[in-house]
Amino acid sequence: MEAGKGPLDLEKEVLNEGLCTSCGACVEICPYIKVVKDRVAVIEPCGLAEGKCYDFCPRTPTDIAALDRRIFGQERPDSSLGSYISIEMAQARDKKIRSRAQYGGVVSALMTYAMDLGEIGAAVLTRPFDGGLMPTSVVAEESSQVLGCATSNYIASATLAGLNKVTKQRRAPIGVVCLPCQVLALRKMQASEHENGAKEVRLVIGLFCTWALSYQGFYQFLRGKLALSHIKRIDIPPPPANILVVDTEKGAMEFPLEDMRGFIKPACGICFDMTSEFADISVGMVEGMDDWNTLMIRTPEAERLIEKARQEGIIETKPLDEARLTHLREASLQKKRRAIEAIVKRTGDERNLLYLLLSEEERRKFL
Amino acid sequence: MSILAMDQPGRSVLMMGNEAIARGAIEAGVDFSTAYPGTPSSEILESLARVAEHFGFYAEWSINEMVALEAAAAASFSGLRAIVAMKQNGVNVCSDFLLTVNLTGTKGGLVFVVGDDPSAISSSNEQDSRNFARFADLPLLEPATFQEAKDMTRWAFELSERVGLPCMIRSVTRLSHSRGNVKLAEIPQRSRSARFEGGYVAGVFVPIKHAELHQKLEQAREEFEGSEFNWYVGPEQARFVIVTSGSGWLYSREAVAALGLDGEVGILKIGTTWPLPERFIVDHLKKVTEVLIVEEVDPFLEQNIKILLAEQAKTLGPIEVYGARSGHLPAFGDINQDKVARALADVRGLEYRTRDEQYARRAGELALTYLPPRMPTFCPGCPHRASLWAIKAALKLDGRDGFVTGDIGCYSLGVGPAGFWQLKTLHCMGAGIGLANGFGQLGQFAFDQPVVAVCGDSTFFHAAIPGLINARFNNSNVLMVVLDNGGTAMTGFQPHPGSGTDALGRPAPVVEIEAICKAIGVEVRVRDPFEVDQAIEELYDMLQDGGAKVMVFRRKCFLVESREKARPRVFVDPEKCIGDDCGCARFCSRVFNCPGIIWDQEAKKAKIDEVVCTGCGVCATLCPQGAIVVEEG
Repeated sequence: MEAGKGPLDLEKEVLNEGLCTSCGACVEICPYIKVVKDRVAVIEPCGLAEGKCYDFCPRTPTDIAALDRRIFGQERPDSSLGSYISIEMAQARDKKIRSRAQYGGVVSALMTYAMDLGEIGAAVLTRPFDGGLMPTSVVAEESSQVLGCATSNYIASATLAGLNKVTKQRRAPIGVVCLPCQVLALRKMQASEHENGAKEVRLVIGLFCTWALSYQGFYQFLRGKLALSHIKRIDIPPPPANILVVDTEKGAMEFPLEDMRGFIKPACGICFDMTSEFADISVGMVEGMDDWNTLMIRTPEAERLIEKARQEGIIETKPLDEARLTHLREASLQKKRRAIEAIVKRTGDERNLLYLLLSEEERRKFL
Repeated sequence: MSILAMDQPGRSVLMMGNEAIARGAIEAGVDFSTAYPGTPSSEILESLARVAEHFGFYAEWSINEMVALEAAAAASFSGLRAIVAMKQNGVNVCSDFLLTVNLTGTKGGLVFVVGDDPSAISSSNEQDSRNFARFADLPLLEPATFQEAKDMTRWAFELSERVGLPCMIRSVTRLSHSRGNVKLAEIPQRSRSARFEGGYVAGVFVPIKHAELHQKLEQAREEFEGSEFNWYVGPEQARFVIVTSGSGWLYSREAVAALGLDGEVGILKIGTTWPLPERFIVDHLKKVTEVLIVEEVDPFLEQNIKILLAEQAKTLGPIEVYGARSGHLPAFGDINQDKVARALADVRGLEYRTRDEQYARRAGELALTYLPPRMPTFCPGCPHRASLWAIKAALKLDGRDGFVTGDIGCYSLGVGPAGFWQLKTLHCMGAGIGLANGFGQLGQFAFDQPVVAVCGDSTFFHAAIPGLINARFNNSNVLMVVLDNGGTAMTGFQPHPGSGTDALGRPAPVVEIEAICKAIGVEVRVRDPFEVDQAIEELYDMLQDGGAKVMVFRRKCFLVESREKARPRVFVDPEKCIGDDCGCARFCSRVFNCPGIIWDQEAKKAKIDEVVCTGCGVCATLCPQGAIVVEEG
């Protein structure tokens, strides 16, 4: 972590460069930084040279190896997928959950279960279509509220702003469902010397993610084409479809994936992490199997929870076949290579990888 | 009993200049009075409205100066005596009518009072409205004392009736807003009834009517020649004379006395400054070789006197004229006794020092030592502070370098730190939405900055509606934010069509701003600006779509609200405020900067100044620690 930097540096290095992921880590910790939809801004500089805002940001310099050691007690054995204990396929046993979820319903099932067990007292989640295109960060106080947050939305909400807000009022073990950038920020918050809400977090479920769309761009694109207050689901069917489907109560519309390129957040282009490498549990899709998730267990605490969930019939697992695992690794490596290419294109210097402080050895692997 | 209604002829009372003008109208038996509030003129109609029921005359706050003048002219056309009052900018608003009613003429006495604001103490310009009298060929009176303010007003009705023209009275801030002794005269019994006869049509036989207008003006000049408002004081054989009008009269007297020049310098005081009483002036300048002209703002008197001197060169011989053109007095800002004395001393080759040269320096040093630095700011509890913070946040979040076009009202302070420097343009009433109309049409020129036009509720009715209709009609990309605090706050909370009472405090129908917007066909939302986060989000949302839109930020001016109901107690919980450990960097007392919030130097925590705090409680919603407590009273 870089010491001695604050909001002006955050503005200069991240916000003005279009590198903000809108994770919300810098929001709700002071009166100066606000988020609306997926836009974060320093409304007025606070005048302080150093700030938590800079410290917590997933796009300010981060020592990846140090973070690995802190969370997993070791440096990453696997350059493509980070540290993990196991990787398999999983699905929620409850059909109701599966029918509401984007894929296998594992995230909803595990969060519900962790709350029922009392492992966590509240969960910070994202409600995908809250009467409009924009997802909102919500706090579930009861497990019955979790399912209302199932399914994906391809716009990032400021989940950590929600976390910061709720932890001002209450201290309880908290579970969070995050995108990879949000997991990174959350772990930086936990590692920080400053007191903050992330230190109340006991369970981090990270999602697989390749990119998110900017609200402003996507909204302008969809506006007038369909009723944005009636969106039920947004989905990207597996290749070779190459489309994005927006399903509303008044029918579905398909758009070529190519049309979305312009709205992808620039922050996603330099993202190194497809599989939420710093999460306790990472969950994604399984290509060609709509009803299943890829499940990566990364920490021993998560392993215990999942073992229990399996025994109690909350989720069902089966091995992930070698071909799919290879494909997952390739996809993840590809994202890393592209990210580093994009970063070097910005900096013009192979040694300056912006936020990524990698060991010499790690850096060489991707160049 | 109000001194306005005091029926004790001969009694001397202390009166504000504007009250004296109102009293003059009452002593003329005024029937009809209108105005749009504006500093320094507002107290004229306020004073009249206070006694309107008592005397049975009519008083209204009109929605703008144009309507005010037209309504007053209608009363005049019907044979009644009418007065209309406004500040200098208002003359521009009603000038279209002014420059046609001069042609049609008037019937009942119509007195048109303008309060000019030299130095623009409460204005966006310091125009010299006397130019309008010359421009429109209307008789002009300039009171120099409080007594004259009253007596000239009374006489102006008679003059107006005799010449059949509106008669203009020009006051200035220093006269309108200071107080002096005024000797009262009788209040007549009013018995006029209104009847419209004949016609008042400007558009036909215009050159003929224009020629008639010039004849009427000549008639006024004849009246001015013998006017009691023009006089000369000083030695009979003075070679040096100060010619002055209005506020310059008292300054000149002081300056002459201070320099001990009573025996050498005469003062020719002109109260009727357009058209000039030429014979009167020439008579008093026959032995004079040097003249210093003393007047406030433009060299109006100076230019007209110079024309006269040129025309009378054979009679008067060469006369040296000092004033604005010679650089002895400024043609901008207000003047004072000091400036006049310095000019006089300079011309006369005298040493003049009002005080020790070091005085100003020492006073400045002392002021900096003992007075805390204060920037102009909004009142405690003012909704504009939160509104402008929300606008700033929404524009910053939007990220396209959007900006605010400003308008006239309390919120004009938004050009400075009080409103976080948000207002980037400031001109006249209605200019905010007008300019925004243009900015909102620049899309084809690669312009992508969002434009927010702000205007107050009174300004909305006064001048902003046509701009909004234009934005709708031509589909301009404009977000208009109406800062609705329930009245014309800047000038003293006079009612307007949205506020539910009339000038006399009686219930009046409410014209709803949002209903007007809906009828125009624009999207309109109403929001309490104290719900700051929601306000920011809604503004942000509105900025994302094109077209004309209106957000009404509605919250009553807290100075009024706090008079109407019990004030909640607001205080800082010292347990929760963690001072400089917070990381908020004293947001409440430093950035949001409500005067009710102070920094306790000893405790190193924020503190509410309970004397100043109005109890609005918006700070409690902004404190990141939730350390500010609002206890309902």
